[in-house]
Amino acid sequence: MTILRRLLWRLGASLIVLAGVSMLIFLIARIIPGDPARIALGPRATEDQVAQMREALNLDEPIVVQYALFMGDLVRGDLGISLYSNRPVMTDLAEYLPASLELVLLSGLMMVALGLPLGAISARYRGRWPDNLLRVITLLAVSAPAFVWAIGLVLVFAYILPLFPITGRLSDTMEIPRLTGFLLVDTLAAGRLDAFASALHHLILPAFALALSGIGQAARLTRSNMIATYDTPAVEMAQAYGFPEGRVARRYAFKPSLIPSLTIIGLDFAALLGNAFLVELIFAWPGLSRYGVGVILQKDLNAIVGTVLIISATFLIANIIVDILVSVLNPRIRLSEDGL
Amino acid sequence: MPTKKYMIMGTALLATAALAAPAAADRILRIDEVAVGEIDPAKATDYADTILAINLYDTLVYPNQGGSGVQPHLATEWAIDGSAYIFTLRDDVTFNSGNPLTAADVVYSFERMMALGQGNSSLFDGVVDSVEATGDNTVVFNLSSPFAPFLATLVRMPIVDMATVQANEVDGDWASSWMSQNSAGSGPYVIVSHDPQTETVLAYEPDYFLEPVDGYPETVRMSYGLEPATVRALMGRGEHDISSQWMPPEVYAGLAEDGATLVTEAGLTGEYFKLNTQRPPLDDVHCRRALAYAFDYATMAQLTQINDDTSTGVPMSGAIPMGMVGFDPDLPVFAQDMALAQAELEQCAYDPAENPLDVVFIAETPARERGALMMQAIYSQLGFDVEITRTPWALLTEQVTAPPTAPHVVEIAIGAASPDTDSLLYAMYHSSQPPTWISSSYYANPELDALLDQGRVETDPSARQEIYAKANAILAEAVPDIFAYELQSPFAVREGVTYHNLADPSRTYPTAGFNMRFADVSVPESE
Repeated sequence: MTILRRLLWRLGASLIVLAGVSMLIFLIARIIPGDPARIALGPRATEDQVAQMREALNLDEPIVVQYALFMGDLVRGDLGISLYSNRPVMTDLAEYLPASLELVLLSGLMMVALGLPLGAISARYRGRWPDNLLRVITLLAVSAPAFVWAIGLVLVFAYILPLFPITGRLSDTMEIPRLTGFLLVDTLAAGRLDAFASALHHLILPAFALALSGIGQAARLTRSNMIATYDTPAVEMAQAYGFPEGRVARRYAFKPSLIPSLTIIGLDFAALLGNAFLVELIFAWPGLSRYGVGVILQKDLNAIVGTVLIISATFLIANIIVDILVSVLNPRIRLSEDGL
Repeated sequence: MPTKKYMIMGTALLATAALAAPAAADRILRIDEVAVGEIDPAKATDYADTILAINLYDTLVYPNQGGSGVQPHLATEWAIDGSAYIFTLRDDVTFNSGNPLTAADVVYSFERMMALGQGNSSLFDGVVDSVEATGDNTVVFNLSSPFAPFLATLVRMPIVDMATVQANEVDGDWASSWMSQNSAGSGPYVIVSHDPQTETVLAYEPDYFLEPVDGYPETVRMSYGLEPATVRALMGRGEHDISSQWMPPEVYAGLAEDGATLVTEAGLTGEYFKLNTQRPPLDDVHCRRALAYAFDYATMAQLTQINDDTSTGVPMSGAIPMGMVGFDPDLPVFAQDMALAQAELEQCAYDPAENPLDVVFIAETPARERGALMMQAIYSQLGFDVEITRTPWALLTEQVTAPPTAPHVVEIAIGAASPDTDSLLYAMYHSSQPPTWISSSYYANPELDALLDQGRVETDPSARQEIYAKANAILAEAVPDIFAYELQSPFAVREGVTYHNLADPSRTYPTAGFNMRFADVSVPESE
């Protein structure tokens, strides 16, 4: 099976999963207690006004009819008006998703760029002080939730040492035409290096706070996998041949240890999008996680389904990418899927 | 080699920080509120929406500065002819678009609000029969029946620029989508950008018909949903000017220690423990009285204390907050009396040991758990088994629609929608009201209903004072709620910033949210 065929097969399967998720979340959103019309209109609204809004939202129709109407609109790219923001849900998603993705992508990059090397260093110096120090640090990173890191980082690097901005995505004095919603891209497209620097400056703390747990996890996993790999005959043979220690570590111990780490990072990365809520809140980051929690509290039915579908799709895409990466890294997996 | 790498990384980081340094700016006011901010005045419901509405739009009348009732604003004068209210408008007001503000705009604004059926439209539902422009500067509201609170209710009807709104209508939508992203008002500020979840940026409109204070902000940045820790860090760096009212007391105290000034707004809002009068044992007035007498008002007052100078609550003497029609300053405030509580309990038809109470506090306001815990401690002395539940707001709004199963006690802050007592008491206690969190004591008393109906038609101020004083006395006797304290919403103001309307009581507007007129705040030049 070629990579393209495998990709198409996985995409098809993902669409089926998304359809299932849409049904499930559509049902769950309606089971959450609270009348969306009453919540949106407030306690002073008359019964007639509430009834009118319920009718406009099709809430009095049987749930099967509601779902059919919803899917019909979804196919046309219309998720209706958000009761939370009073804007089209698609507008909200288009605005908030890039902000969250930018944050999560940088976090993912940090997890790979810092977590894997730290794990490799730890394994290479197993039982010595660099290993012991890194194990303590990574344990701390894993054990504290992201919002604790977020508050701690703000306190140290934004309040006591005012090195980083606390809130927002860009300096208040800068304006950049919106092209993709990814400010790092839009600023470069506009040829504004100062704005690019500002966007990056705003990204670093929240991305690091969000990534810390993943960095710790990736480092610990890489360490334990590398240590296991060091005991394999392949590494022993490389050492017996007298290859330099660095080469043995990189080529014979590190590469085979990447697969479980990458799999976990892939899952972590996808989960970040849903878990970024408190980090987004502390850094006033205009992202999808904050929006997701807001619409759930407001019982904004269409926005709930839209947000969950986006997060699910990201999860599925991340999984596909990880699977392909893993099969590239380890030919045995690719061959076994081909039935050889 | 590694040293070189670190040097490059360090230099890159410093360069990023240096390149990212913001340039100097003008006078900026930075405040925060809870998400979301709605800028369409016809959909405005909460505190943040009120702030936006009063700065983007004007109304015919405005809450009376330094007193009660209303004062002229867009309307210079008015006359009442039976059920007709005839307003004369200022002739020197233009919208931000440059269009003159006329009576036709008033008619259109009313029709638009009622057609959309959201926001504060329910305050006018069934009240106004028709609105007509009888001249460029004269507008007549014909009421369906006499309605004394009408003038006060008009503070909730912002006037929009008919021509601009109509130009942006799509398929007869009253420009609903457009108005949630743009402003079409005559107010002192216009929208620069608006993200309902994150931030609204507004700019001062120099042609506004009223004078701003010295040092008024040229730009306002209103953020939504900032965490208290974030607000504290921002204020510590001089990057935030006025906090919201929704932070824990400890954060205000910390900010005050750091040099911020604390001001409070008495916005005609009471903190009520709503008692479910439809559910045993609280359907027995003696049981309710027992709970009210046993309630530890003094401890509650301590819980609202931020520091020696500032408290977020003052004791109440009834259902009506200070400054509203019907409030009697001579009435004693409530105080705990366990002997009276025991005496009332003995007359109650229910045995406390067999009738546990469920007390609910709203999950999104964790500070309220302290009140619930205090109740649990005290009412256990009366023999009640008190179960405390932390309930999300969406679930609570559902629970309160079914009186027989709704919680026994819910702590909620309820504010008047307008400066008139009717906007508070009618929604809370008239038996015709649907079961919502505002009416969640479900109290039904024909005598009280009659008084509240009478208050709606009586226009003589002294007669209205008497009517509402009687209503207040009935409520104090029947105890549909425990009137815990009158809310004094706290705001932390950064050093160098003056929130004039709350710093000087003679400038304070009586209704919640109406004090945050940005043009009445002095801010220093931005560094």
